[in-house]
Amino acid sequence: MKPMLSTELNTPEVAVDKAKIEVKNLNFYYGQSKALKDISLSLPERSVTAFIGPSGCGKSTLLRVFNRIYELYPKQSADGQVLLDGQNILDRSQDLNLLRTKIGMVFQKPTPFPMSIYENIAFGVRLYEKISKSEMDGRVEQALKRAALWTEVKDKLNASGLSLSGGQQQRLCIARTVAVKPEVILLDEPASALDPLSTAKIEELIDELQADYTIVIVTHNMQQAARVSRQTAFMYLGELVEFDKTEKIFTSPREKRTQDYITGRFG
Amino acid sequence: MAEHTVAAFDEDLGQISRLISDMGDLAGTMVGGATKALLNSDNALGQRVVSDDAIMDARQRELDDRAITLIAKRQPMADDLRHVVGSIRMAGDLERIGDLAKNIAKRVGSVGLTATPRDLSHSIDSMAQLVLIQVQGVVEEYAAGDAAALAKLRNDDERIDVKYTSVFRELLTYMMEDPRNITACTHLLFCAKNLERIGDHVTNIAENAYYVLTGTQLPANRPKQDETAMSAPAA
Repeated sequence: MKPMLSTELNTPEVAVDKAKIEVKNLNFYYGQSKALKDISLSLPERSVTAFIGPSGCGKSTLLRVFNRIYELYPKQSADGQVLLDGQNILDRSQDLNLLRTKIGMVFQKPTPFPMSIYENIAFGVRLYEKISKSEMDGRVEQALKRAALWTEVKDKLNASGLSLSGGQQQRLCIARTVAVKPEVILLDEPASALDPLSTAKIEELIDELQADYTIVIVTHNMQQAARVSRQTAFMYLGELVEFDKTEKIFTSPREKRTQDYITGRFG
Repeated sequence: MAEHTVAAFDEDLGQISRLISDMGDLAGTMVGGATKALLNSDNALGQRVVSDDAIMDARQRELDDRAITLIAKRQPMADDLRHVVGSIRMAGDLERIGDLAKNIAKRVGSVGLTATPRDLSHSIDSMAQLVLIQVQGVVEEYAAGDAAALAKLRNDDERIDVKYTSVFRELLTYMMEDPRNITACTHLLFCAKNLERIGDHVTNIAENAYYVLTGTQLPANRPKQDETAMSAPAA
């Protein structure tokens, strides 16, 4: 019998074999303003979870809590628990650098460094590991292959990362994330600035990556959420309204607010 | 249900609903007309039912086109998705009801009921009334959004199955009594079988409509009785 999430009324349907990330009673504040309200949910390991909801609902904020990137900004704070393999990452004693090697993030706009394609990947690896040139070559190749970019760039590894197309740049960013061997990959609207073909390549990549990584994707594109994820969380005004298997959310959601949002009847 | 932010989406869904409603009305008219034509040996009415089938087919093609276009343009989700996919399936069943009504209507000339005792057709008449109530009911309950009534209506098909069994036995008896009845009764048996099949399509429509409205499927097993197979091969 698989354990069922029973602590929250709105999360009864997602059976979790093994939770990679467990969020418990999480609140988040931008100064005085409460952006996340008592969020609790479990993200299964090696699976894709999508967060959907209108702008300002808190989905990107929730994603930013997972690697504590919010700490770069003053007056932002979180309370509650976010357990990564049972360890609370919000704990002050948590090593931030170590945390961010475990939890990689890819943003909406491709953010290649102004350096060669090779260095874009090697740079991150060098921060955490001392490896030989040949090992690094292997690591770069492996990461580019993992991100389905290798065949397109293998003959121009010294070209600038900025010379690539938008879709290629985004896959380069995914390669950079994968190269440091994370356990969780956070994707914040990774395909919203890409053409349909590049989007399809990113989605194919997400599908392959979930065999090895726990993936969380924030997207405004509902069809994309339906295509790539196994479970979907609908958020609204900082609350988790419904969290369920993706096919359930998109065919017969339980909550009227979810239904209104995904069918385009909101507001 | 609240309106969509994009008003044209509501119009597209509304057109699909109207087509289902039109096809449902037409199916009722055809089933009623076909049985009336059969029982009264009314060739003209039978011909009208046959020509109505072409209209039914055209409506189904129009619905298919609109539904496919809507899916491509608007990528419906949740209840909208169920509505569109459910409508495609319901239209398929309504189109088949039209075909079966046409089959009944085409037999009007062959049965030659005027030459046979009227009571041969009496039980067919009451079976047809049951079927007609089901056909009209399913369209009305779907339009009214009454899921509970649809679940009941689906189970009511059992009454048609029971009636079919009794019609089968009755006609068999007439044939054994007087071989001159065989031609007419054989045609009537086919008509009864067609009516019974129409009942099954109504059941499908009720199940689909229930899913469209609620998002959950009715249990797979429904009480079913066709005892004709016990005594002889069904027509």
